[in-house]
Parts: sequence; C-alpha cells; structure tokens
Amino acid sequence: MKFSVQRESLLKPLQQVIGAVERRQTLPALANILLRSDDSGISLTATDLEVELQAHLDMELSETGETTLPARKLLDICRTLPESAVLDFDIKADRSAIKSGRSRFSLATLPASDFPTLDELDNSQQLTLSQNELKSLIERTAFAMAQQDVRYYLNGLMLELTAKNIKAVATDGHRLAMCEIPFKSDLDATRQVIIPRKGVMELQRLLENNDDLATIDISNSHIRVTVAGLRFTSKLIDGRFPDYNKVLPKSTDKEMSVDKELFKQALTRTSILSNEKYRGIRLSHEKGSLKLQAHNPEHEEAEEIIEIDYKGEPLEIGFNVTYLLDALSTISSKLVDVKLKDANSSALVMGNGDETARYVVMPMRL
Amino acid sequence: MHTHRKIIHIDMDAFYAAVEQRDFPEYRGRPIIVGGSPDKRGVVATCSYEARKFGIHSAMPSSRARRLCPQAIFVRPRFEVYRQLSAQIRAVFQRYTDLIEPLSLDEAYLDVTKNTDFQGSATRIAQAIKADIFRDTRLTASAGVSYNKFLAKIASDMDKPDGLYVITPDEGAAFADALAIGKFHGIGKVTEAKMHDLDIITGRDLKTWSLEDLQDVFGKAAHYYYHAARGIDDRPVESQRVRQSIGSETTFDQDLSDSGDMLLQLRQRSSEVAHELVARGISGRTLTIKVKFDNFEQVTRSRTLEQSFTALSEMNALLPELLAKTDAGQRKVRLLGVTVSGLCVPDKEDSHVQLKLI
Repeated sequence: MKFSVQRESLLKPLQQVIGAVERRQTLPALANILLRSDDSGISLTATDLEVELQAHLDMELSETGETTLPARKLLDICRTLPESAVLDFDIKADRSAIKSGRSRFSLATLPASDFPTLDELDNSQQLTLSQNELKSLIERTAFAMAQQDVRYYLNGLMLELTAKNIKAVATDGHRLAMCEIPFKSDLDATRQVIIPRKGVMELQRLLENNDDLATIDISNSHIRVTVAGLRFTSKLIDGRFPDYNKVLPKSTDKEMSVDKELFKQALTRTSILSNEKYRGIRLSHEKGSLKLQAHNPEHEEAEEIIEIDYKGEPLEIGFNVTYLLDALSTISSKLVDVKLKDANSSALVMGNGDETARYVVMPMRL
Repeated sequence: MHTHRKIIHIDMDAFYAAVEQRDFPEYRGRPIIVGGSPDKRGVVATCSYEARKFGIHSAMPSSRARRLCPQAIFVRPRFEVYRQLSAQIRAVFQRYTDLIEPLSLDEAYLDVTKNTDFQGSATRIAQAIKADIFRDTRLTASAGVSYNKFLAKIASDMDKPDGLYVITPDEGAAFADALAIGKFHGIGKVTEAKMHDLDIITGRDLKTWSLEDLQDVFGKAAHYYYHAARGIDDRPVESQRVRQSIGSETTFDQDLSDSGDMLLQLRQRSSEVAHELVARGISGRTLTIKVKFDNFEQVTRSRTLEQSFTALSEMNALLPELLAKTDAGQRKVRLLGVTVSGLCVPDKEDSHVQLKLI
C-alpha cells in the first residue's frame, strides 16, 4: 500500500476517529487504526468494540491495500510534523515506512485481518436529520446521563422514535432531561434504543453545527450515524429504559417565571458556600421574590434575593444546585418557567415559549 | 520557648504470649507461639521471648516458625481474654491521664503533660504505671518517655522487656540522627527501600534533604519525615482516633479459582463491614476490594459513589464489577477483602437527602 497525503488532510480524520481508541486495550489490534483503500481513497477505522469510528479520506493511491498502524503514534507523528508537510506512506507486510522531508519513521503494523470491524447492520431502519438537529437533541439531554450506575440502562441516552417525533431522554435517577423534535416517519409503533454513554460523547464531539444531513441507521443491536466523510457506529445498551412519562410532574400548582441569566448568576454565587459534596441550596418562593440560601459545614453562609413572577402558595424547597445549573445552561430562552408542587415532589423546568426541552429535577431534603 | 510535652508510650511485653504463660504455668520458660496453625496458613501473632531467640517474630508464617523451632508450642489466640486485660490496662492509664491513644490491644500513647503527680516527673509516672499494670495483671510492660510520640515509641523499644527509657529534649535530635531509617514511625518496607535507593540510611542522611526535595519524592508525607529527622513530631495524642476506613478480609485455607465462589466470599466480607457501619451509625462513599493472588501479588479496585451508602445491597451491587476488573478467575486467589472508606456521620440537622426520581 502506497500513498502520499498532506499533513492537514490526514490530521483531521485521525483526530476524529482517535476517540474510539482506548488507552488500555484488551486486544493488541485495538491500539491500532485500520487503513483500507477503496475506489475513492482510504478509510480510517478505530474501535473499542463498543464504539466504531470511521473517517474517509478522498485521494489517489499509487498502490492499494490494507493494514493497521499504531493509532496514537501515527497521530503524534502527523501532529508534530510541520504545517503543510507531505507524508509518503510505503506499507509492507510487517513494517510501514513514513517519510516526510528529512524525517523517517518505521512503524510496526498488524494485519488488517486481526482488526474487528462491524459489517453492514442487519434489518436496520433508516432516518435522516440535519446535523444541527441531532447535535441539539444530544446536547440538551446528555448531561443528565448516569455515570457507572449499577442500573446500566441509565448509563446512556435513550432515543425514542414515533410516527410524529424523535425524543432524546437521559436520567441519572435524580433528574431527567428530555428533548423532542417533530419528525414524520412511517413508523407504526414507538421504538426505543439506548446509546451507551461513551458513544453519546463521541457522537456529540463529531457532529457539527450545520444543516448537512446525518443519516441514522438503527438495527436491533447497533446504531450508525453517517455524515459527510464520517461514520459512527455504536452498540446499543440491551435494557429497558424507565418510563419517563411517569416521572413528569403532574399536579403542580405553583409556577415561577424568572430571568434565566439572573437566576443562573444568583445560583452560581450562592453555590460557592453550599456543601461541596451535596451542593444543597434552599429556595424560598413567595409572591414577587425568590430567596436563595446556602451554607456549608464551616458555617459559612450565602443569601441572595431576586425578583421573580410567582403564582401559588409560598414554598421552601431544596435542590442540588448543579442539577439546576445544568438544566439552565442548555436553555436558550430569556425567561425560564419552573413548575412546582411541594418540597418532596419533582420540579419541571422549561424555557419560556420553548416546548421542545423539559427538565425534571427532584428536590433535596435539607 | 514553649514547654515540652510529656508523652509516654506503653508497650506490653510479648502480650498474647505473656498472657498464655501467665495462665498456663506449663508454658513458662518455653517457646510459645500465639497465632494461626502452621498446618494451615496462619501467621505468628505474638511469640514469647524464648521463641524470639530462634529468630521467630510476629507476622511470620507459622509454618516457617515451626521449621525454625520445631519444639515451639503453638497456641490459639484467646482474644476475649486479651480484650479484657486490655481494658484493665486502660483503666490503669486513666488513673494518670485522659489523653490516651490506644494503638492496639497492647500498645498506647499517653500524654501526661498536665499530670502533676510526682512533681510532674513523667519518668516517675511511667514507673508508677508499670507497677500498677504488674500489680493488676501480673504482666510486664515497657515504657518509653519523651517529648513527642515518635521518640516515645523509639524509647519504649530501647530497654525491652520490662523496660523504662527516657529520651530528653536535649537528646532527641541525636537519637533521630543515629536511627536507622526503617525504624522511623510511618516508614514501612516500601518507603525504606525507596529511601535506601536515595542513600538515606539513617536520620542523619534524611536531615540533609530539604523539605522541597522530600516533597518531590514523597509528597504529603515529606512534612512529617522532614521534622521527624530533626526529632520534631507535633502529632497530638488523639484519644478519639477517627476511623479512616472499615474493612474485613480473609485468607482462605485453599486458594479459590472460581469467580462465583469469590463473589460469595466478598459478599460475606461486605456484610460484616455493613454491620460495622450500622453499629457505628456511619456511612461511606468508597468501596474497595482487595485481591491477593496465589503468588502474593496484591491488587485493589475501588469505586466512589456520589452519595454515601450504608446498605448492604448497595455495596453488593458494586462487587461483581470490581472483581471483574481484576484477573480473579483466570488466576487463583488466596485472600479477599472489602473496605469502606470516605466515612462520614450522616448529620441529622443537615442531612442533604437527594430524593429519588426513579
């Protein structure tokens, strides 16, 4: 296999796929990147057996072939070469020579046949969204995913497809984030899949903020997202996601409306003196004003009062301030609406005039 | 110039073995080894002075002790008796001070700075404590008297058994100078080897190092080492020692090779730990398992949760995943243990209970 490529053309796809290469691998080949020539150039593939990332590089090769090369070393070589350098690859069975200017590298290869790749997905269902839409679905919910929870099905993002819309839902058992966008499909039944945490993070990193299309294929065991020059595939978590409808607050009788930036800043300031571990903060709602209070084990205290619009009986309620701030950070509306019931029931947080995303936060008993 | 503290370190002489020799006259004058059976995998807990002549010491495998001294008498420990005696000895300490920091059943630090008996002579207080212990228990103790914990402990070892040794403030620095590095409190085998690699053999060598250089190599512990080398140790005698962790472990009579069996054993350990947590009314945030393989290589794996736990079910749920992160199953295992750390007392007024959505 022989080809020449400019540093910048190779660097970007390498950086895109490197996320799938784990630092500690179970198989030697998983430390490598698969290079395989095709009709229009070379594909670069990396995998940790759960997430596979593949980037394509259009080019002419002087000799076709396939091999695997040490991923991080290849990336480091490419990264540290001077700008616009041209790399000449000459890949033999067990050694790969890379030349650029007066630099020479000889890298060990492993046969392409040792590299586990995913073939076409069986019985997959296909749909198309813009990259924007998909990225926003993920960004507005992924922060609520659990990390290493024993309820393994919470360590991921649930995508739900219906005839009318697509929903993304994530929860760690204490708070839940949900975002939906309208989408017409010929689906006759609701379908739910759970993408594992690592896959979600990689996908979020790869998607760009533009209107280019992203093609999503979903099989029984995998999800694949294809965008220009890039293919993401992840295993699905085999499990049942909790019924999110059950945890959406129903009989709320109190409602607060507040300027988002004002609320966010007051929370951030007050949280400085909250218990570092539990991050508890007390909110006292009454007509026209909200009092925020926090104190820590050193008996330091913070208090702040902000102006709000409030309907209902006065209410004192505690929250983990991180949960509130996480939700507020993904809301773009100027005003935020919070619906409440009592100090033991969940609160519903939404951007004013934005029905697409909903956040449910369970209180903390302080 | 501040006045020096008066610290006494009391160490019972060959405690378990001495108790056995006291209660069983036929053991007197003979090599007695209290500990696990040499046929299984026991280790020596304590041995009598007669046994020490053969090179036997505590923590040595019992089987090795028997090879060194075939005529030694192996005795199963009677912890109930030792605990009772330990309480009796503690009662003696309490006559002289409230500041008592027990290190184990047979060892304690006392701070007698405030005691005015015998015109405030710590040496004579130590003599009186030794005499009281002997009168009440018929057992001998060795006492070390000095102006800090580190030197008091060195002193109690100077004149064993039935000894009394004093290191005065004027002598402290010279003692630290001459002391082999492995004898410093808190320097175990690993640190000792590391220090030897750096040509630090005695306290005098240690003293040539600047605090900054020590910090580069030893991190947080550097501060203690730096001062200890100068005979300085400001650690107070802590009568209420705060537990850092609660753990339970067992060595098996036969190595385990089945990971199902290992999980079962781990669950038993975690149930003991859970009982202890409940009994003390505390909870923890970090669960660690310890696995020792048949070649004595040892690994630990741990998980820290956001919220502290006390429930056995929460602990058990973490075990399979932690065990799977080791080679257990592919390799044989001789010891398993479970430890909970990151301990905290759930504060009643400030409970911070995050309510569950799901």
